[in-house]
Amino acid sequence: MSTTVSPVLFARSILHPREVFAALAKTDPGAIRVFVSYSVWLMLLPPVFAWLGAYQFGWRLGAQEPLRLEVMELLVISLGYFATLLFGFITTTVISRWMAATYGAKSRFGLHAALITIVGQPLALASAAHLFPHVFFNVIIMIPTLMWSMYLLYSGLPVILSIPPERGMLMASSLVGWLLVAAVSLLGITMGLWTAGFGPSLGV
Amino acid sequence: MTPDHAYYHDEVVKRLIQFAVFWAIAAMAAGVYIAAELVWPTIDMGQPWLSFGRLRPLHTNGIIFGFGVSALMATAIYSVQRTSHVTLYAPRLAWFVCYAWQLLVLTGGLSLLAGWNTTKEYAELEWPFDIVIAVLWVCFGVIFFGTIARRKIRPIYISNWFYGALIIVIAMLHIVNNLAIPVTFSKSYSLYAGAQDAIVQWWYGHNAVGFLLTGGFLGMMYYFLPKQAEQPIWSYRLSVVAFWAFTYSYIWAGPHHLHYNAIPEWVQSLGVVMSLILLAPSWATMINGIMTVSGAWQKLRTDPALKFIVLSLAFYGLATFEGPMMSIRSVNVVSHFTDWTIGHVHSGALGWNAMITYGTFYYLVPRLVGRELYSTRLANVHFWLALAGTMLYIVSMWAAGVSQGLLWLSLDASGELSFSFRDIMASMAPYYGMRLIAGLIFLIGTLLMAYNFYMTTRDRETVKVMPANVNPAFGVAT
Repeated sequence: MSTTVSPVLFARSILHPREVFAALAKTDPGAIRVFVSYSVWLMLLPPVFAWLGAYQFGWRLGAQEPLRLEVMELLVISLGYFATLLFGFITTTVISRWMAATYGAKSRFGLHAALITIVGQPLALASAAHLFPHVFFNVIIMIPTLMWSMYLLYSGLPVILSIPPERGMLMASSLVGWLLVAAVSLLGITMGLWTAGFGPSLGV
Repeated sequence: MTPDHAYYHDEVVKRLIQFAVFWAIAAMAAGVYIAAELVWPTIDMGQPWLSFGRLRPLHTNGIIFGFGVSALMATAIYSVQRTSHVTLYAPRLAWFVCYAWQLLVLTGGLSLLAGWNTTKEYAELEWPFDIVIAVLWVCFGVIFFGTIARRKIRPIYISNWFYGALIIVIAMLHIVNNLAIPVTFSKSYSLYAGAQDAIVQWWYGHNAVGFLLTGGFLGMMYYFLPKQAEQPIWSYRLSVVAFWAFTYSYIWAGPHHLHYNAIPEWVQSLGVVMSLILLAPSWATMINGIMTVSGAWQKLRTDPALKFIVLSLAFYGLATFEGPMMSIRSVNVVSHFTDWTIGHVHSGALGWNAMITYGTFYYLVPRLVGRELYSTRLANVHFWLALAGTMLYIVSMWAAGVSQGLLWLSLDASGELSFSFRDIMASMAPYYGMRLIAGLIFLIGTLLMAYNFYMTTRDRETVKVMPANVNPAFGVAT
């Protein structure tokens, strides 16, 4: 059983996810290796795209004037975005591994990291939409991508973690529950930061 | 020959399910129509009864009182007989409540279209209807508690505690909140004035969500989830602890609807603290449900209903986390008066209430008529439509809500508000279009379910079932 997975394998999952799921199931990769060789680079994309888009054009929320922020503030927000993605990746991997005991799935950290990487990859790539920072444009790009990511989670989880599809469905749904909570937490934290005076100037 | 009264009274359950499905379609269709009005405002055709202001309460009342209460009455009547090992107390009264309630929803709905409205959210119906609601609700209580009083098994199963809390607390909230001085048949004025009226209204409003849309449906979950999974509840003790924690903390949370308003700040703070505490019993119940179903994964192969229940628990987890978070003042100052709130309500209403009800109905209907579900494939298609519709709804309202929150409060260099209300609303049209599509997808799924049920129950009588014997160790001494 191979203990390494190449970045090429992850890249292949964009077009041939089922093949890659089956190949990953036969491996036993190390989590840090998965993280350093691929995941972390993938997570750099959204903040870089967001910084470039917001710096060049400013965010458009549907009103006339685009929302422009100071260069330093944009940089801090983009770094915060990266840190949030890192935190999300690590916690989701840990939670997925924690759930594995309940659902009888393989508990190797590397496999969970690989699963989360493959599920998150379409979203990271679709974040190229941030280069055109119009909120509705980003929403219509991200929603189908989100559906594709959910499909990858539901179909890939049982194969990669070697459990029956029905148990995989339960575990994937539990992970979706966590991811929904994480998503809404991000909204809440963002609102809190805005109210505290960070980001756009609000009359609060 | 065994007399009819020796069997469980399930015919009334079947009829209530049929009414619930009817109201789901009618009220969701009204929702889709008003969603379309927000995209194309002129489709009200200049008719007052087609205007957003009149159709919106029809949508919410139709869902809560038509769909929700009919489903709760059906499942409460079905489960209280089985958990008490006796037939229903006062079955004729149950038939009366069944039909009278539908007549109430129908005439109440028409009164809303005519413009009769107390202006209290989720309590819009005028005083004549309020009196009828109170009477019918007490009758429902007589049937339910009467059945429990003559039970043959000593313990009262946890689902009955939740249904019982639903009946008692909703009666209390409804009567207190609707105390009013009638002026004419179609107009009354609240007994409370100013800020007090607001506090009473949101004490009612939030606990209608708490004890009807949450507590009642938790009763449904605690009976039907273990039945479907063929597993006992993962931790019965946790369910009892969660019940009392839930009942105690929910009742205080209402003032979080009134942040930055003319009510005392300590009342607002109390609402926030109790809302945050509420997360614990809510998630205890979610974990109990998830762990119960996790032992029954093989059932997913053959049972489309279980998928709905699994997903409903995920959305229950989301909604019960999102609510306390939105009650925090620094979040609420941005999220309040935006479509995020609408998204939050629908993550609960579509993702939790509708999905758990659909899952329960897919379990119940074939059993009530003793026939396999007409089409498992249609039920699976319905599942994916319901999931897609809910997700699209929530995401579009999150995006719209956050954008609105930012735009409402944006200041320009001179400290003036940057954008006008009209400009902001105009810029929301694409999100409203997306929400319209989401609602349509969800409604189409519901129509498929109605067709599936029609084909399953067509030409079939309700199966007659006798109460099971009670283990003498748990029996009531006679």
